[in-house]
Amino acid sequence: MATITAQKTLSERMEPYIAIIGPMVMILAILLFMAVAEPARYFRATNLNLILLDAALYMPMAMAMTFVITQRGIDLSIGSIAALSGIMMAFLIKQYGFSVYVAVPIAIMLGAVMGLINGLIITRFNVPDLIGTLAMDLVYRGFALVLAKGLVLARFPDFLTEIGRGQIPGFIPIPVIIGIATMIAGYVLLTRSYFGRYTIAIGSNPEAAELTGISVNRHKVYAYVLMGACAALGGVMLTGKLNAIQATSAPYFNLHVIAAVVVGGTSLFGGRASMLGSFAGVLLLSMMINALVTLRIEFFWQSVASGVVIVSSVALYTWMQKKDRDGAGGLFAGLMTPDGQKMLRFSAALIGVLIALLAIGGLFAGDPNPSG
Amino acid sequence: MPDTPPDIPLVKMRGITKRFGGVTALSNVDLDAHAGEVLAIVGDNGAGKSTLIKVLTGVYQPTEGDIYLAGEKVDFASHADAIELGIDAVYQTLALADHLDPAANMFLGNELTRKVFGITMLDNKRMRSETERVLMERLGVKLKSLDAPTESLSGGQRQAVAIARAVYHEGLRVLVMDEPTAALGPQETARTLKLIKTLKAQGLAVILISHSLDDVFEVSDRIHVQRRGQCVGVVKASESNTQEVLGLIVGAEEAA
Repeated sequence: MATITAQKTLSERMEPYIAIIGPMVMILAILLFMAVAEPARYFRATNLNLILLDAALYMPMAMAMTFVITQRGIDLSIGSIAALSGIMMAFLIKQYGFSVYVAVPIAIMLGAVMGLINGLIITRFNVPDLIGTLAMDLVYRGFALVLAKGLVLARFPDFLTEIGRGQIPGFIPIPVIIGIATMIAGYVLLTRSYFGRYTIAIGSNPEAAELTGISVNRHKVYAYVLMGACAALGGVMLTGKLNAIQATSAPYFNLHVIAAVVVGGTSLFGGRASMLGSFAGVLLLSMMINALVTLRIEFFWQSVASGVVIVSSVALYTWMQKKDRDGAGGLFAGLMTPDGQKMLRFSAALIGVLIALLAIGGLFAGDPNPSG
Repeated sequence: MPDTPPDIPLVKMRGITKRFGGVTALSNVDLDAHAGEVLAIVGDNGAGKSTLIKVLTGVYQPTEGDIYLAGEKVDFASHADAIELGIDAVYQTLALADHLDPAANMFLGNELTRKVFGITMLDNKRMRSETERVLMERLGVKLKSLDAPTESLSGGQRQAVAIARAVYHEGLRVLVMDEPTAALGPQETARTLKLIKTLKAQGLAVILISHSLDDVFEVSDRIHVQRRGQCVGVVKASESNTQEVLGLIVGAEEAA
């Protein structure tokens, strides 16, 4: 058989780097925009420190989520695992007098066990991961609420606050070191271990993985256990950072971490993993949120921005991975097909009804506080 | 069978019957395959070709009948047992993880490792060089890039990777190929047929399942014809022709 003689196209040669190019371009865009809009406040050393500190919290979880998503899985329970293991650790320290040096590893092990439960529910009881982890999210959050009620547990030993917000003088914060260390460990795990290799194989072709004798279910469980342990580490870091924990902590972990991983080019359809991309994704989201804060945009817009970034990046990757783009004939050609026309009329009708209702409401509107 | 070579067949299947509930997929089938020979199995859809090779590769267990490997009776509880004794298959779907590079695929489930500070790590470098060596030495195939994911390779090259995975096992004696040319263009088909001849020359027993009689006559030594779960004839490729085999496949011979 001869060697490949055909010239590789540009997109083919770029293929391995696509994962990292996406978030890098967006990071550059944010940097450029902030350099024009608010250079003085955005590029201060203290602000960069803040960005890193925020990003560090999500790094261990993004690392683990990269494995879960690469195996065609998803974990929607990590926020609750973080909160519940944080709460249990807090109780151990505050109420039972456990040493913090024991309580922190216990918290991480508790997270691992919760991950194990997730994994077993998915592989043994054949509950789809989406439903299984969503339901367990309710369970873990419920336990956290049962345990802590409305209580805020605060003021912990120094070791914990060092994990959450300590700083090596003249250097970077300790959580950043933890975060980057987990990402490097994740990279080694992904490229140099059986677990990483089988994770990609399972996501790429589950039947083939099974045929070659890989225990698909066992490696799926491993991924969820790693996810649980890293979520608990996130909970520990959050507790240390705020020096407080309550049952409703960490509500946004799920989507934030999934967004970071997906923005980083790890495919939701499995098989395509990028640890470097996940790292860049975490940085990107933290930079974006920090930019919004620096621009004094209301906190609630963060949610809008995160959602828009997720949708646009997934759409972008799907578009880039489509091999045959020639037939599409541009973004608007689809509107000209008979089916596109129907969809257009349907959308127009929906929006038309909405506008009509608003108009009617406006016409007949009376005094806003009639019943006062 | 009088027209087979005098040595003991490497694979001897005798009286193989396989029933799925009330359906008899195979009924009393005999099959011989010799080392250094290409045996083609042909037949219409539902003739029992796939069931027959699944019995041979340990995926199915026969309801009745025995399998002998080099004269010794063997029992396969699973596909892994068959691989252990040197019988492997390359499936039509190739069973490759397309996002992994060729080396990772070749060693999938069987990775080479090395110790780094006492920790077992995958030895990607050695797997890559071994893949290059096996592809070159055993199959005469050279890939331009071993770093690219397998999905970027051509159909024939992907097949070479799948075959390389099977032949890397030192003890491999029987290689079953299920419809290897079904999804390939004419050029890739020619290369694959050449590969089959290479493997035969290395002393493997190659069992080829194909719908393409042209391919079958090009590479095979003997042709085993299945119809409705039974073996209706084994002919020498050199002493037969497409007409005769086609007749056996559709059952015209019987009517005549």
